[in-house]
Amino acid sequence: MAAYLWGTNRLASNVYEAACDRVAKCYEKYDHVAVSFSGGKDSTATLNVTLDVAEKLGKLPVRTIFWDEEAIPFETEHYVRRVAEDPRVEMEWLCLPVKHRNACSNREPWWYTWAPEAEDKWVRPLPPEAITHVDGFPTDPAKRYSIPEMSGLMFDPKIHGTSAILLGIRGQESLTRMRAVRRKATENYIVHYGPDSPTYRGNLWKVYPVFDWTTEDVWTAPKLFGWDYNTSYDNMEMAGIKAHAQRCAPPYGEEPMGGLWMFSQCFPDIWDRMSERVAGAATAARYARTELYSYRSRPEKPDGIKWRDFLKYFLRKHDPAEAAEVAKRVGMFIDRHYAKTSDPILPTATHPNTGISWDFLLMLAVRGDFKHRKNPMFADSDEDRVKGWARYNAERRELIDSGRIHEVMP
Amino acid sequence: MNEKTAAMPLSSLRWIDPTELRANDYNPNHVAPAEMRLLKLSIMEDGWTQPIVARSNGEIVDGFHRWTLGSSDRDVMALTDGLVPVVAVSDEKSEAQQRMSTIRHNRARGSHAVVKMADIVVELIDAGMSPDEVQRRLGMEYEEVDRLHDRGAMPKRAAAEAFGQAWEPTVKGEEE
Repeated sequence: MAAYLWGTNRLASNVYEAACDRVAKCYEKYDHVAVSFSGGKDSTATLNVTLDVAEKLGKLPVRTIFWDEEAIPFETEHYVRRVAEDPRVEMEWLCLPVKHRNACSNREPWWYTWAPEAEDKWVRPLPPEAITHVDGFPTDPAKRYSIPEMSGLMFDPKIHGTSAILLGIRGQESLTRMRAVRRKATENYIVHYGPDSPTYRGNLWKVYPVFDWTTEDVWTAPKLFGWDYNTSYDNMEMAGIKAHAQRCAPPYGEEPMGGLWMFSQCFPDIWDRMSERVAGAATAARYARTELYSYRSRPEKPDGIKWRDFLKYFLRKHDPAEAAEVAKRVGMFIDRHYAKTSDPILPTATHPNTGISWDFLLMLAVRGDFKHRKNPMFADSDEDRVKGWARYNAERRELIDSGRIHEVMP
Repeated sequence: MNEKTAAMPLSSLRWIDPTELRANDYNPNHVAPAEMRLLKLSIMEDGWTQPIVARSNGEIVDGFHRWTLGSSDRDVMALTDGLVPVVAVSDEKSEAQQRMSTIRHNRARGSHAVVKMADIVVELIDAGMSPDEVQRRLGMEYEEVDRLHDRGAMPKRAAAEAFGQAWEPTVKGEEE
């Protein structure tokens, strides 16, 4: 994470005060402010900070968009319902056939929450508050949007004007998110909603008011202020899952899949249906943290086979269309590497200038990485770069000496 | 017993010398030391409640760890003068079928729901059992008893005394 931590300016305020300032700034800058809510702990912080600020500024109620992801614990549903009953909150409870990643299966890499065609498999009954239609959401199943893709639909320039959607994204969560909260717009925590989105209309900004909160801060707030919270975290705590690893979102995507097993213990009332909701769920619950899903250890390449052929074998396990997409991404990294250098890509040592190794590419090929979250790792310091070259050169030498250098060639 | 129940493997229950049995070479089930200790405690406290399942040639289909205790642990052996309970499964099964039978025995078990486990732990401790004793008799670590007894209570467990200091990046990342 160090590469993204260059230069942090400690502020005089604590994280709660700073978050309030950021939200107040949104009310100043934009015609309309809404909170994107998942029922999770980070969006609990975001919503409550916004409620506090809106109350002071006389801006209540706060428009709160809840993306109901279907395969979520009843504890979350009950918490969201309590939030919706708060008169300061104007809740929109969305149950749409939104596109989600299913990393549990190579054959069915996507699943669609609340899809009408899968009604017999829904994990929970449709909540009475559900909004199941939003103008502009594609009716053709093949064209359905993901949550980020459809966000623009919720903010009509004619009705809402310039808008801010407040998201509970924190830099501490991952390298990818740390990078997201450092992007430059007018402030590091405000990002223009991208023109690459199919619902882009130019009037929307994504705002991360709690980007600098730690997991501790997220729990300090309900303790100090007596905020209500989602009790599914209590279940996860009891099951021995550490605070920073607790997630209550549907666990079928690449990152959360490793925690799929815990749903059987923490949320047995939804697990029965959850385990049969998407292809591969029961398998992933058992094996997600093993080499079957390329978790940490990767499948071992047999001697004598070229690395590119070994990767092709795994690419072919995806659906043809998906395989093409993954192959394109892997190919892009290879092309980028050879545009920078004529040095070969090595099995485990990353090339210090390109950050690429066959191991990294193999992980992409096996797991798919449809959200493009995996990126090459670069050295943080000159010292690391020197060590990186030493590792690279030693491995290259070893391959030449053992006559296996041809295996790494393109 | 009627005709149907008489045909069930359980009706063939016998107490035999454990040396008549032997391990199979394919069992994928792994039992960690803590679970092995709990298995012993279970047999010592409740007695033998489940037989070992074996073919007539003595190869174990299910119950390898019970057999291990019954043939090597003095305390367990003393319970039954060194005999272990065994039922026979059909020998007509092919080797492949026998392997599948082992896997089914191992896998067709559920998992414990954490909230109900917590209910039980809270009940035991409220009834006066010490956390140490709960640990020992249920084969749990301190960590597990503590979490279950505390029922999560996340704001209490994961919070700090006060909020941390806010920050902003001095060099902002490139917009992508």
